[in-house]
Amino acid sequence: MSIFAYPIREISLSDKDFPGRLKKIKNPPRKLYVRGNPDVLTSKTLAIVGSRRMTHYGETVIARLLPDIVSERVVTISGFMYGVDSEVHAQTIALGGQTIAVFGCGLDVVYPPENISLYEDILKTKGLVVSEYEPKARPHLWKFPQRNRIVVGLSTIGVLIIEAADKSGSLVTARLAHKEGRRVYAVPGAITSSVSGGTNELIKKGKAKLVTCSLDILGSARPKTQKQTPPADLSGNELRLWQILGQEALSLDEIAYELKDSVSNVSIAITNLSLKGLIRESAGKYYLV
Amino acid sequence: MLTKVLSATHFGLETIPIEVEVNVFSKGFPGFSVIGLAGKSVEEAKERVKTALANSGVDFPNKKIIVNLAPADIPKEGSAYDLPIAIGILRSMEAIPMPKEKSYFYGELSLDGTLRHTKGVLLLALSAKKQKVKNLFVPYVSANEAAVVKGINVYPVKTLNDLISHLNGVNLISPHKLVEIANKKDVFRAEFDFSEIIGQEQAKRALTIAAAGGHNVHLQGPPGAGKTMLARAMAGILPPLTEEESLEVTKIYSVTGNIPPGSSLMTKRPFRVSHHTTSRIGLIGGGSNPHPGEISLAHRGVMFLDEFPEFSRSTLEALRQPMEDGRVSITRAAGSVTYPAQFMLVAASNPCPCGYLGDEKRACTCSPRMIMRYQSKLSGPLMDRIDLHLTVAAVDTDKLMAKMPAFKSKTSKEIRGEVINARNIQKARFAKDKIIVNADMKNKHIKKYCELTGDSLLLLKQAVNTYGLSARTYFRLIKVARTIADLEGAKDIKASHVAEALQYRVRGVS
Repeated sequence: MSIFAYPIREISLSDKDFPGRLKKIKNPPRKLYVRGNPDVLTSKTLAIVGSRRMTHYGETVIARLLPDIVSERVVTISGFMYGVDSEVHAQTIALGGQTIAVFGCGLDVVYPPENISLYEDILKTKGLVVSEYEPKARPHLWKFPQRNRIVVGLSTIGVLIIEAADKSGSLVTARLAHKEGRRVYAVPGAITSSVSGGTNELIKKGKAKLVTCSLDILGSARPKTQKQTPPADLSGNELRLWQILGQEALSLDEIAYELKDSVSNVSIAITNLSLKGLIRESAGKYYLV
Repeated sequence: MLTKVLSATHFGLETIPIEVEVNVFSKGFPGFSVIGLAGKSVEEAKERVKTALANSGVDFPNKKIIVNLAPADIPKEGSAYDLPIAIGILRSMEAIPMPKEKSYFYGELSLDGTLRHTKGVLLLALSAKKQKVKNLFVPYVSANEAAVVKGINVYPVKTLNDLISHLNGVNLISPHKLVEIANKKDVFRAEFDFSEIIGQEQAKRALTIAAAGGHNVHLQGPPGAGKTMLARAMAGILPPLTEEESLEVTKIYSVTGNIPPGSSLMTKRPFRVSHHTTSRIGLIGGGSNPHPGEISLAHRGVMFLDEFPEFSRSTLEALRQPMEDGRVSITRAAGSVTYPAQFMLVAASNPCPCGYLGDEKRACTCSPRMIMRYQSKLSGPLMDRIDLHLTVAAVDTDKLMAKMPAFKSKTSKEIRGEVINARNIQKARFAKDKIIVNADMKNKHIKKYCELTGDSLLLLKQAVNTYGLSARTYFRLIKVARTIADLEGAKDIKASHVAEALQYRVRGVS
């Protein structure tokens, strides 16, 4: 079903349907255009934002944290951009949850255009898309930071930042969240990573709560530790490969040096593990799934 | 008096005999004209011939001279008609007798009467053998090219005067000695040896497989990872050309005038490098008189295209057909020509326009749209035609140095040995087929020589499902697995060979 089959509703600031949580922010939008299921505006919500240049790490973090968040019936909010934003929307939908996308342009404009199928999926799964701009408004650079205040305003639990570079837009969102009295959570990253500088800085300055598991956000105790035990059917070489990849992601050459084995033997082991669904490759490095 | 002299012209790699008819009138106004669709360079032959004859002490006849190049409906280009025209005029003046046997005269004249290096002499010699022409009079510096053909007399001519005295039976020119092809094997001396390259073991392995089976390779990695160095080092692990291959390659080089004066057969495997501003015609071949492009010059060798996605889209897509067929057909108004283009493509690219996508140390500064546009240049069908794909990571030298001692890199010479062994296995296998390496295998050959059994078939089927491989990729994988098995000297393709081949499959955008 095309997105245009869903009507756009206009809610003005004086309307009783205007979300109360958004009314309270410093500079609330005068009008809100929504498309989809408006009931989610009264649910418990968590904003999750991050870098457009998400790495494999960011993807893994989202995959690890989201299941608990979604199973608590928390609605996720994000900005419909590439990278972390799109991943959050998509994963929430995949987990059977609902998600809110806040646009930096009108609701009849799909930006970025490659997200058209994501747009449809959000509507299909009783999610919502929101914008303060007229339905045909074009995307402009200045509109995106503006939209962040709605992302913050709609969140009840707070704002979770996954990966953010120094001076990135996600830090703008964090600052806004502070002003509006929302809690800020950040996932730490490797100090060598170019997209973890911002999040690490927030944690260092005490401006964000460090998050290592979903409990840090949801609060309630949900004992669920993942203990890594190697699968049973691995050969000697495969097992050693599985063990060293558990410590850090490595390229094929590095694995060969580590195992002191030939590239061709390592290739064979990698293919076997990958076909068993145990490892994945991204940008020339191999990871445990 | 009318004289007919035999010469030849080339159209593509085909040689067409041309009769140069010269008539020196006894009456009429003095004049000199060339007819028979003569191009600009042939038109200018008049002045060269006139001056060369004058400087050779011949009194140029002050009469009406007509030269006809027959058949008159084929366009003629090039400077090779200088010699036959001069001989025709000399004969018409009755200054020389013509040789009793059929003879080809071919070569460009210098104003002082010496003969210059002329392109296409090898093709002329091959045609002479076919047309049963006994003698070949060619420039001294180009005679080496013709001397590899058995059963003809090749007379290396230094100057017009030498030829005049030879034909008059005064000072005979002795025919050129036959150049043996077999004992002229030589390998390409590469700029780098594989042992000089630190790390990059996976890339070296991939290039070894590529060289052994003649597979196309795509190297992707950030700037400074050593892609270009690896590709250039590859020239040193290629096996020498076989006799047959050498002749094929030399034909193309001869017709394009790429053979240096004095040398004969090409013995080194060609290694051609093209910059990304190379035009489509420059790469594929073309022009109104269709000329071979870089890919034909890389026939039986390597075509290295650095900064692959920077090539224009039409150039890249034009590569698809020749890569599949091993030859390129160029059709123009003047006619259609087919050149061989059985080359190994080595393509290098960055992951994104700035080059640092996915790099650990430096952040990528490209927008997602730029990355998409860049990567979309490498279209699916084109990537599907490349057998080996790999990511070349930047080498962290400190980290590597610490671990290096445990690892001893093979030298190019050692690797070349492995490659030659694998090629010999392939040669024996394909003795009855018209192919040379595994990469040339068509589906019928795969059926015949690459039977997968039990484990290996199961593994491949599983991979097809897991990675969503196309049918073409499926067959490419089998070919690569065959080469890996050949490198090991194994008769059957085992699961381990398939597993290693899978590491070099084409991957989605990560």
